[in-house]
This record gives sequence, structure tokens and C-alpha cells, in this order.
Amino acid sequence: MLIVDNIYAGYGSSEVLQGTSLEVPAGKIVALIGANGAGKTTTMRAISGMIKPTKGRVLLSGKPVQGNGAASIANLGLAHAPEGRKVFGPLSVEDNLLLGAYNHLPMFFGFRSKAAQELEKIYELFPRLHERRHQTAGTLSGGEQQMLAIGRALMANPKVILLDEPSMGLAPVIVQEVFNIIRRLKESGTTLLLVEQFAKSALEVADFAYVMEHGRVAIQGTPAELNMDARMLAAYLG
Amino acid sequence: MMNSTIIAQMVISGSLMGLVYALIAYGFQLTYATSKSINFGQGELVMLSAFFSLSLLNFGVPYWLMIPGGLLFGVLLGLVVERACVRLSLEQKGEGWILLTIIFGLFGFSAAENIWGRDDRPFPTPLPADSLQVFGINISPLEISVVVGVLGVMSLIELFKRKTLLGKAFEAVAADRDAAELMGISATHTIMLSFGLSGMVAAMAGILISPITTVGPTMASSLILKAFSVAVVAGLDSGFGVVVVGIFLGALESLTSFYLGSGWREAPGLILLILALAIRPNGVFGKITIRKV
Amino acid sequence: MLKRLLFIRGAELATLILLATLPLTVSNSYVLGLLTLLTIYGILLIGLDVTVGYLGQVNLAHAAFLGLGAYAAGLSVTLFGFGMLSALTVSLFIGFLLGGLLAFPALRLEGPQFALATLSFSALSTTVLNEWESLTNGAQGLSIIRPTLLGYYFNAQGFYWLCLILLMLVWLAMRNLLSSQWGRTFEALRDSPIATDAMGVGTFRHKVAGFAFGSSLGGLAGGLYAFNFQYLQPQSFTYDLMVILLLGVVLGGRKSLWGAFFGASLIVLLPNLLSSKLLFEIISLAGLLLALVAGVHRMMKKSALPFQAIAPIIAMSILVVGGYVVENTENWRKAIFALMLFSVVVGLPDGIMGFAARYLTRLFNIAPPALPASNALSDVLPLQIVDNQPLLVITHLKRYFGGVKAVDDISISIRSGHIHGLIGPNGSGKSTAVNVISGLYAPTSGELVLQGKPLPEGSLFKVARSGVSRTFQNLQLFGELSALDNVMLALKGVYLSPLPMVLLGLAKPQEKRAQADALALLELVGLKDQARVHAKDLTYGSQRLLEIARALASKPKLLILDEPAAGLAHPDVNILIEIIKRVHQFGITIILIEHHMDVVSTLCDVVTVLDGGQVIAEGTTEDVKRDPKVIKAYLGIAEETNDPNLIPSEP
Repeated sequence: MLIVDNIYAGYGSSEVLQGTSLEVPAGKIVALIGANGAGKTTTMRAISGMIKPTKGRVLLSGKPVQGNGAASIANLGLAHAPEGRKVFGPLSVEDNLLLGAYNHLPMFFGFRSKAAQELEKIYELFPRLHERRHQTAGTLSGGEQQMLAIGRALMANPKVILLDEPSMGLAPVIVQEVFNIIRRLKESGTTLLLVEQFAKSALEVADFAYVMEHGRVAIQGTPAELNMDARMLAAYLG
Repeated sequence: MMNSTIIAQMVISGSLMGLVYALIAYGFQLTYATSKSINFGQGELVMLSAFFSLSLLNFGVPYWLMIPGGLLFGVLLGLVVERACVRLSLEQKGEGWILLTIIFGLFGFSAAENIWGRDDRPFPTPLPADSLQVFGINISPLEISVVVGVLGVMSLIELFKRKTLLGKAFEAVAADRDAAELMGISATHTIMLSFGLSGMVAAMAGILISPITTVGPTMASSLILKAFSVAVVAGLDSGFGVVVVGIFLGALESLTSFYLGSGWREAPGLILLILALAIRPNGVFGKITIRKV
Repeated sequence: MLKRLLFIRGAELATLILLATLPLTVSNSYVLGLLTLLTIYGILLIGLDVTVGYLGQVNLAHAAFLGLGAYAAGLSVTLFGFGMLSALTVSLFIGFLLGGLLAFPALRLEGPQFALATLSFSALSTTVLNEWESLTNGAQGLSIIRPTLLGYYFNAQGFYWLCLILLMLVWLAMRNLLSSQWGRTFEALRDSPIATDAMGVGTFRHKVAGFAFGSSLGGLAGGLYAFNFQYLQPQSFTYDLMVILLLGVVLGGRKSLWGAFFGASLIVLLPNLLSSKLLFEIISLAGLLLALVAGVHRMMKKSALPFQAIAPIIAMSILVVGGYVVENTENWRKAIFALMLFSVVVGLPDGIMGFAARYLTRLFNIAPPALPASNALSDVLPLQIVDNQPLLVITHLKRYFGGVKAVDDISISIRSGHIHGLIGPNGSGKSTAVNVISGLYAPTSGELVLQGKPLPEGSLFKVARSGVSRTFQNLQLFGELSALDNVMLALKGVYLSPLPMVLLGLAKPQEKRAQADALALLELVGLKDQARVHAKDLTYGSQRLLEIARALASKPKLLILDEPAAGLAHPDVNILIEIIKRVHQFGITIILIEHHMDVVSTLCDVVTVLDGGQVIAEGTTEDVKRDPKVIKAYLGIAEETNDPNLIPSEP
């Protein structure tokens, strides 16, 4: 579904990614873990078009998308829930969700009725969002904003979801909730690339994992294989 | 002692002018929201749209058709400003648009002078000239049309922003451009939309005010500074705050002109602007931003 | 060295001689008038270049300062009988005073609001000049008497020479000013006002001073203007003139005295250029040709965006075609300026002089001046006293952003002479804490005490002045300045000459000393050979090291390093470790935020671990790595573990 082939990317003169490659097969959950500064978030951004890779390819359903703008990649079926949530603060919860489906809803009128069924599904997955659907997103708690960001990504009916550090800044109890949601998504066959700080939690839900270090993939394998590997923990904490 | 009716008259008439400033300031808000930039040549845009509308009338176009024609012209000019003067600077993340929109204004002024001449021209109106009496104060139908026009346009656009999905996308780009792009919303197209709307709003201001003040190349500079004052004092993200500030400024100007002479008319707006910039640059209603490092 | 002297000073001298002797050979009074106007506009544009070129702001008030200076000078003669020098001093002073007063509110603002503030000041000045009829005679105009200097009356030629002498003095003074720490500061604060403040160089005060200088020159030009034309009207000093002045500065070339001079020539000659249709056609065709050549060249080299190459071509084409089509180019003056200015702003942002300077230095192979030998590092960095006392004590520090508790009650004691590590997962509050300490944010509550005295809050500048320096997680270098200039800017205790000495060119020795000191710091980080390279052209690793050299230049007691190893390749990380060790030998206390665990364990005496805005552990690196709370924070493991092999320190 999603193939990243030896990309180099960075910010200004700093080339953070030095030849990163990974693959997310359809219907699988793939985890991308590693220490801070290893390049996990940069990889996500290079995939979704927030930054453009200087070398290498990104293939979405076989189609090369590296170098395309973020909006066009989103319209090809890739949803990215970015680090820090980035919900639209002044807009309501429901508006945020509706905008998630922007690429297939009518622009002017009639969008609410068309989206009704999809909204139903999201609210069923996140009952708290249903309670707060008319509240402005900026007033939600961190955990609720994370739910909203995931819901927003799901509204796009995407082929692949990129989920970047969903647990960041959240209390442990909320983190559990988030991972429960991810487990439910796994059951329904969603294709998901997950970047996480909490390696253990990520490995519990993932089908496959890549460990990044210094801008490259250092180790890869199934969670079972990786749990045994002392190298992984070393790459992690230094 | 001054007759309080006369003072009230001044205040009301002035406030109505102030509404037009508010409308132009509202146009600034639209482009600032999405792109953090405003058109320094907006005064010339108002003037050019007014002249164009006048020409339409002179060519025999009926009044009710002239209005959308003039508005469309405003939209086109707004799009030209975006493409020629703003987009490059946004890509470079610089402020070259300040100078480039000033240049647009300069070019527009010169073109207007030559195409339509340097004199002020009267702008016809189908509305009757007789004033109505409301609570002892004279208000002409023209002045009422200004109120209706300004509040009508602003309300329509606010409705658009709140009720249509495209309008929500607009707000999304204003709130977080990167996140909006991730939804498949093209920031560039949204910015084009904001400049188009801003141009339309400016054209509306021109059409509303020209019957009262006549059309001429100099209307540009006199309007623009006041619109700037309103925009800065109210804050470039204050929504309907511009209406309040606009009314206040218009009334203040009217009274200043009455008591100190018409030459000092400009002064309150300018002083207010400098004070606002000195004390609260983000405006009375605006928000404070946090620096990130 | 000699070549450089010959070319640059030679050119200046030759031009001066040419200008001085021209009226002796050509006895046309019209030409004399043009030359006089040239010198006046030269002074005016040099002043404008300070804000537009060096500070990089769109200043719309300059024409107003011309007018205010003119009226001030003229009135000082008619009302108080001042002589020439006194009157000109008045105009200079009025420009300085009013410029300073405007600068205080205006320069707190960002670009567009600054432009608006200056625009409204300009409109206000026009209104005052128009309405205060008892003083200025309003729109009817004011007649001016040209005053004498110690009894000597200036005829046209004499007055021209006076103007020329003043231009020369202004040229020399500004050249000295702009090649000193002042000029460096102007350029630095444009690239990164945050870093400028953080290095202890006050951004705001320099911006105000720069603006005041520029407007004082505007005032001076105004005085000369008044005595040249001997008749003033408020409507001469409006927005129309302002745009022409901007055209001159931008077309001539920003950040350049020659550019201002060239721009002034253009302004003075422009009306003549427009009056002859043939001449206009020739010039516009030449412009179109230039735009085509430059555009195609840049498109092929991909050194500019397509719009930058194509738009000037379109604009110049309109100019050429328009010149044919319209009857009277004089009427379309403003549109012509607009098209020219547009082409230059988009296609030739450095202006003609900027372009020419690069080309000429390459053509004639002019090397930059030689650098002095570097001083010894021990002469540059003072040895800090290391006692066992805490240097910085942080007590119950909190920093909230609305509902987000980025720092939520932390208390840390930093011992003098220690390298104190600050680690923690993403979003744990490390950067916020350090941003509060360095003064970027004021604390929501809590206390910060440096060496027993309260640390200033919420002001990067004041904290820097207290002896705290820092680097940034996202580099904040002065990209357009050389590596050497980046370090020189931050040097403390070197620029002691007062301003008049600088203007007179008597501050050269301290520049040399500053260069030698800065080179010592560059040598420490291994960048001595790249001293003249622009910071933005350095490799990423070198840029990181440059920030450290710059931070050291302010001779801090406390140095904060915010993720200095971020994005560095392995060999560079080792170099970094060596540099930090050497810095440590000077007794400088260091707070180190890092994710690279090997850097932390090699260097840090103590480590504080943050998570969720709070301190969860503190101790040596070894202690902290075994702490179950720390492991949980990083890995999310729910159970405790005593396995010593769990967190190895070697990959």
C-alpha cells in the first residue's frame, strides 16, 4: 500500500533522513520507533508531503508521490494525523470531522447530510466526541484532541493513515484509551503507520516494526523478534 | 450651546461613513486570516472598481446589473493582486508583498488618472434624494443603503464562512495552514479565494460610497488610511469588532471636522492608528501571539 | 590589499573630484541645479537605506522627514535669524528627534504594521503642515531665505559645493558607522532579532537608533532642500515622493552607499528621461533586454522561481508597448515607476549596485581585507570562579500556555562549574524550561536566582547581560553574515568607543581586536578557515558549532546548549564533545539538553530528568538510567525492573 524507498530529507541545510526505507502492507499496522531526533516525524512529513524528499521515492498504491504537495497526496488517499494533533481550534468538533472528509464532500451545501453516516461511525468509535460535537476543538483536553485528530483522519476514508506520536503529552490512562482505539482499527483492517515514543505499547499493537537511528532504519522485524533484541533498546536509550 | 440634534446628526452621518471604512477593513481581515498579508493598494482597488462601475452605467448597463459587474471586477483585481504581488513573497516567506502591493496601488492610480481623468465625478443613484426623518434626525435613503450594503455583505460572507464547507475550509487554513493541507485543502486556492472576496468587498465599498462622495483618483488615499486605522485598532482578527471601531472613528471624524475644521478631519484616525500601534498592536479585540523558538 | 584600496577608495575619490570640478567646466545653470539636487537626494537616500536596506523595513515616513526638516530649517531662519550651519543643525536635529519619537512605538511592530505606522505619520505631518497656517502658511507655500555662513552668501555654485561637502561627510560617517559593530547589528537583527537579543545586543535600541540616524539625514536633506528651492509647499512631501524615493533605493541597491547614490542619480534624471519619448523607448527596450537575459539565465540555472524570471519580462514588455501606445509618457509617470519598481523588486532584489558589486569583485578579483592573527583563547574567555555554590537556583518554576502546563513546578539547583544535563522525552518541558531561564518567556510563577541575585525575567536581552548565553534547538544564526561577523556581534567588552569616535573612523583598532578575539573562538570550534563564509552557506554541522562559538563570545557564566548534537553525524558528535570539554575547563557552567545518551553520560556531572513538565529523577547519568521512573517515561514499560542489562550505554 505504502512504500518508502531510500528517501533523504531534512530542513534547510540539515539532512535528517539519510536513506530511510520502509513498507506498510495493506491492512497491517506498522510501527516506527526510535529515540528522539532519529527522524521518525521527519519521515512522516516526507511521506505526507509536508516536506519534500531530496532523494528517493514514496509510492502510494504503486503511484510515486514524492515531491507532490501535501494537499494532493491527501487527496490520493493518505491521511496524516500530525505530531501535536493540530486540530482546528476555533472550529467545532463536528466541523473538524467534516473537514476531514473535505475531499469527497460537496463544497457548499448538503455536506452534512452526505457525511451523516460517516459521522455516525466516528461517534460510535469515540462517544466523547459525540458529547462534545458542538464544542470548539481548542477547548478539548489533550486526550480528546487526539481522538479528534484520529477521527478526522478516519473521515477521509483513507487508504493509509499516518499517526504521529498519538501518546505525546497525554496521561497514562488516556494513552491506554488511544491504544485501545488503535487496536479496534487493527481489527477493522485499517492500514496504519504509527510513530511512537512508547516503544512497548507500539510493539503490542503492531504487526511489524522499524527502529530508526540517526536518520535510517537500524533494525526491523516483528514485535516478537524485536523484544528479544537488546540492540533495539540500546538504539532507543542511547 | 450646540443643538444636540445637530451633534447627533453629525455622529450618525459620520458613523455611516465609518461603516464603509469598516467594510474595507473587513476585507483586510479576510486576506490576513489566510495569508498574514494585506493589500496596501486596496484604496486604489476601491477606486478602480468604482470607476469601472461608473463606466458600466455610462455604457447604458442598468443599475441592478452594474452592481454584480462592479463586484466581479473587484474579484478579478483581487486575484491579480494575489498572483502578481503576494504569492511570490509567501513562497519566499518574506514581506516583499508590502512593497509589491504598494506598487500595484501606484500603477492603479496612474491608470485611473489617465483612463478616467483626474477630476472627481458624480456617481448616479436610483434612490430618491429626500431624507427621511428618524427621531428628528435626517437620514437619506442613500445612507440607509450604505448600512444595508455593508452589513449585508459582511453577514453574507460570515454566513458563507460558517455554513458552507468551503467556508469552513477557509477558517481551517486561517487556523492552521499545514493541518488544512493535510486534509486536502489547497492553501494557495484558499488564499486566492480570500483575495477575491477582499476585492469584491472593496468594490462594494466603492459602489456604496461613490454616490455620496463622488468618484475620483484621490478617494483611494483618503479611504485607505482610515480603513487601516479601523483594521489596526480593532485587530486584524476581530470579526465584527471592525464595525464597532468603524462607527466610532466615523463619528469622531465628523465631530472633529465640525469643531476644528475640515482640514483636521484626517487627524483622529491617524492619531488613533499611531496610538493603537503603540499600545496594543494586535488591536483592542485581537489576540496576542506567542513566540516560538 | 592595495588593489582593494585603489579600486574602492579610488572610485570614491574620482567621483568626488568629478562632481566638484564639473561646474567649473560646464557653466550651464540647469546642470548645476541637477547636480545640487543629486547631492541632496544622495544624502536623503543614504538615510532611507538605513531602514529599508539595513533594517529591511518598508519605511513610508522618509518624505515626511524631508518636509519637516525643510520647514524647520526655513523657519529657524525667518523666525530666529539662524545662520546656515545652525539652520542645518536644526533640520538634522528635528529629523533625529521626530524620528526617535516615531521609532519608539513604530519599531515594536512587525513589518506591515510598521509600514502603516510610518504611513500615518507621513499623513499626519502633511496635515499639520497644511493646517498650521500661522506657522507654515499652509498650502499657499512658504518663502525661504537662504542664510549666510559667517557673512558669506552662497550663490548657486557655492551652495552646490556646500551640499557636496556635506554629502562627502555623510558618506564618510555612514561608511564608518556601517562597517562597525553598528552595521553588523543592523544586519543581524534583521536575520534573527531573537538571537541578537540573546547575545546581549539590544535589538530594539539599535533599531530605534538606526531609524533616528536615517531620519536625521532626511531632516538634513530637508534643510538643504529648503535653501535650494527657497520655496516650500506641504504637498511636495507626500506619498508620491515617498514611492519615488523607494524606487531610488531599491533600484540603486539596498545596503549600499553607492546604491543610494546611483538611485539618487536616477531620481534626478528621471523627469528628463521621460520627457523625451525616444530616450524613454531606448531605456525601456534596454530594460526589457536586461530582463530577458537575466530571466532566461536564472531559469536555466534554476537559481530563482519561474515567477521571478517571467514577471519582470512581462512588466518591461508592458512598459515598452505602453511607451508606443500612449501619447504622453509624462502623464503615465507613476505607472512607469510602478512597472520599473516591480521589475526590480521581483527580478533584481539586490538592485543594480548589488548586482554590479558582485560582478565587479569577481571580474577584478578583489580579495577581502586580510584578517589579523587570532588571539589566545585564554585572553578571550575569562576563567570563571568555581566554588561549590549553586550558580543558578530554580524554585517551583511553572510556565503555562493557556491550559497546557509545559513546566509544572520544577526545582533544580545548578552548581557552578558543573555540566548539568537536562533530559526527558519529547514534550517533557526541557525546552520551555530553558526558554524561561534565558528570558524568552516570563515564568507563570516561581523563582530564578543567579549567584544570589534574582535573574531578570521575560527579557532575552537582560538575561544575556546578566551572564547567561545560549544556543538554540532550531538554529538562529545570522545567515547573511559571515561566520566571523556572527561571533564578532556577540563579543562582550570590546566595543567601547563612543559613537562620535565611530563616526569619525577612529574605532578601527577595536575592530581589529574584535576580529582577533572572534578568530580565537572560531579556532576553538574548528571554523577559523571558514571565517569569511556566510553562515547560511556552512554545512549543518559547522553551523551548530558556530552557534556555540557565538554563544561563548558574550563571555557567559552560564552557557545553555539546547540539543547541540541534533542531526550531527557521529564524527561531528565527538568533535562537539571535545569542544564542550574545553569550554568546561574555563569554569563555565553548562546546562545541556540532549537526547544523545553517550553525549550526556560522557559530559554530565549531574542529570535532571523531566517528564510532563516535572522533575522525575536527578543524579549521575548511571543512576538516572537505572531509575525505573525514567525507563517508564522513555519506554512506557509498566512494571519495574532491576535488570542491569536493560539499558546498556553502548550501541
